[in-house]
Amino acid sequence: MQYLVSVIDDKSNPGSTDRQPAISAFNERLIAEGYWVFAGGLADTDAATVVDNRGEQVVFSDGPFVESKEYLAGVWVWEAPDLDVALKLATEASEVCDRKIEVRPFL
Amino acid sequence: MVASLTRRFGDLDIAEEAAAEAFAVAVQRWPADGIPPNPGAWLTTTANHKAIDRIRREAKREDKQKQAQMLYDDDPPAPTGAIVDERLRLIFTCCHPALAMETRVALTLRMVAGLTVPEIARAFLVQETTMGQRITRAKAKIKAAGIPYRVPSEEDLPTRVSGVLAVLFLVFNEGYLATGPDTDPVRHELTAEAIRLTRLVRDLMPEDGEVAGLLALMLLTEARRTARVSADGELVTLDEQDRGAWDATLVAEGHGLVRERLTSGVAPGRYQLLAAVNAVHTSARDIRDTDWTQVVALYDQLVRLDPSPIVVLNRAIAVAELDGPEVALASVDRLEGALAGYHPYHATRADLLRRTGRSRDSRAAYDKAIELAGNTAEVAYLTRRRDQLR
Repeated sequence: MQYLVSVIDDKSNPGSTDRQPAISAFNERLIAEGYWVFAGGLADTDAATVVDNRGEQVVFSDGPFVESKEYLAGVWVWEAPDLDVALKLATEASEVCDRKIEVRPFL
Repeated sequence: MVASLTRRFGDLDIAEEAAAEAFAVAVQRWPADGIPPNPGAWLTTTANHKAIDRIRREAKREDKQKQAQMLYDDDPPAPTGAIVDERLRLIFTCCHPALAMETRVALTLRMVAGLTVPEIARAFLVQETTMGQRITRAKAKIKAAGIPYRVPSEEDLPTRVSGVLAVLFLVFNEGYLATGPDTDPVRHELTAEAIRLTRLVRDLMPEDGEVAGLLALMLLTEARRTARVSADGELVTLDEQDRGAWDATLVAEGHGLVRERLTSGVAPGRYQLLAAVNAVHTSARDIRDTDWTQVVALYDQLVRLDPSPIVVLNRAIAVAELDGPEVALASVDRLEGALAGYHPYHATRADLLRRTGRSRDSRAAYDKAIELAGNTAEVAYLTRRRDQLR
């Protein structure tokens, strides 16, 4: 199964900023063990643009689709046999990133 | 049966519906055709056919190769040992940490204990539709999120077992001290089911101390069930219970388990300590004969493991017997901030204030306890105690 693994940061109580070396090492391991599909850190939510072309005319709006204290700071896509494996990896990921992690299955 | 169907078809919904359909066919046919020579095997075979029919119907609509493949699995029904393993797999799936606690309890009662949705809804005082949705959502999550149907690996087992025990303890407690103005004060079907499931877990993990501890705790508590509520529906506290009415068989089994754990030489966990406390109580001929020094020592150990205010409160109740109500009251009063909404806190204070002769304060504490208590027998007891104050 594939899981979207979201790294959640908190504007009022951000995680530490020195995690990159640990995250890189963790990524190496994900690749070596065959779980890694994709990973990427995200720019600040201020850099987001929402596009809505459901009506007659396209509307662009500056900023994320929802303003919130907690926001998506980065994502992984993992290939794992089941949720137990994904949750175990996510437990490590949360410590490595010093942030909360959401694990959500793809359909 | 649901466990073995789930194992074979990998889907709780299909398993549950196939089992229900098989029972429906049995209800229709058996009265007319007579009961088959092996009713269990008949039901399993019928349920298997129903499940395959269902998968065939669905396979036509969607591409379900994996499920279609199972049509070719013609293994005979699993022997007893394997069925036990399958039930355990089902318990671990229903008690998965990725599910909310209330969901785990509901799902375990539905899938493992076989209670109906209306029964579970009644036990937890929610609407049937709400409970139905909760269970449906949980099954959908198990499927969509890939919650595995298996016993966790050796290294994960201790934490996962403690999650299962927490669910079983919750089921037991809801039966033992049922909440709600319209429910019986004790719901025997829930305590009995919790004990049955804990026995099952113990069969599979006979070496696990906390499993043995929880079973002992339940047995020693259940042994006092009939003595605990009077004929007119009032709670009877430990000091006033007719000890001759306790179930001697359950007490003996509980004591046996506690002794087994004591001789193991392994440091006891929370359930084992609580079981030991109950073993002390059930060993005493009357309340004066109780070894309170031992009870307080056990609570001291428990506080070191789990320094939560509720444990401290229970320790104080034992301290009152050993060092007097004044000493106990001093430590109870310190818990006000943490336990102001917990009715046993007010009931304990009311009792201690009564025993130190402070009737006015005691009455106020009883009022608060009555307001917060949800169990009818307990409300009746607290009300009588309050009204006896001078």
